Amino acid sequence: MMRRLVLTAGAALLLLSGCGGGRLRPLAGLNQQLNQLGQGRSPSLSGGWLALIAARGSGRVQVQLIDVKRRNPVPLPGLNRPDALPISVAVDQNAERLAVVRQREDRTELVLYKRSLQATQLLPMEPAGVPRQVSFSADGRVLAVEVSRGGLWQIDLLEIP
Amino acid sequence: MAGVLLAIGGCGLRRQTASPIGLNGAENREQPALSGDGRLLASLVERGGRTTVLLQERRSGKVLPLRHLRRHQPHSSPSLSWNGRYLALLIQRGRRREAVIEDRASGALQPLFLPGNAEPRRLSLAPDARQLAVELTSQGSTRLQLFDLSGLLEPDLAPGLRESGGGPGGPP
Repeated sequence: MMRRLVLTAGAALLLLSGCGGGRLRPLAGLNQQLNQLGQGRSPSLSGGWLALIAARGSGRVQVQLIDVKRRNPVPLPGLNRPDALPISVAVDQNAERLAVVRQREDRTELVLYKRSLQATQLLPMEPAGVPRQVSFSADGRVLAVEVSRGGLWQIDLLEIP
Repeated sequence: MAGVLLAIGGCGLRRQTASPIGLNGAENREQPALSGDGRLLASLVERGGRTTVLLQERRSGKVLPLRHLRRHQPHSSPSLSWNGRYLALLIQRGRRREAVIEDRASGALQPLFLPGNAEPRRLSLAPDARQLAVELTSQGSTRLQLFDLSGLLEPDLAPGLRESGGGPGGPP
């Protein structure tokens, strides 16, 4: 009898939690920090890191990397260029690799940034196409890229050694 | 490996186009999202003229069922947890864009109530499902907000740290 009561109560609780939804708890301190970076978009969360594209009031649009626990922006030397406009960014769980789609001069390109080397590497689209959005696996070994090619949007999967 | 192996580039890249699911592969596929372990791929496709989320195994192309996501289109901005237990995305309910999370292990659809009147435009779920980043738009400006999910969801951790299952269609 007692067991049946416990099971019924458990089922009711499960039903309630499934239908009730959840009010989200904002991370207030971090959100304040994000507001100071300007207008933010294209978030990518992984392993305690947040990569985003932020536009300050002056119009400068940059990739930013935030250490979520410490609430600190982390420098990305060599990634942001004055002649490039970032469109999409993804980060791996160690924040060692960032994939960035950016517009530079009259072309859109995909680059891989390795933070330990402070270096970017161009990842060409083959066959030719225009990249738009990127997503990393947590280990940074697999990259999914949304590509416009021949009038269609396709998804390329890149395994990166 | 399913899909088209395109090239192995000079810098050691191995390339594959995500497995086509339409006739001749002539179908738009947008907004890719990989699970943390890289095993699953969520993307958006057209189904009956409506933009709908599709979940697949990355290597085989096998389509995995989503219990609650055959309605409330257009869908957008899918994001997966580490083992693919959770799929966060935006759905349309009436005039409102709403953020939801489908828990593939329990079969529940969890609506997420965002504070204020701003409209969500893009989501990123942390692989361990402890936090959610939301791009919000209001009166022409966009901002990012981070939310703590630890009171709502069990974490979905990497093997070895694992506390929860990977849902239907998981690895043997």
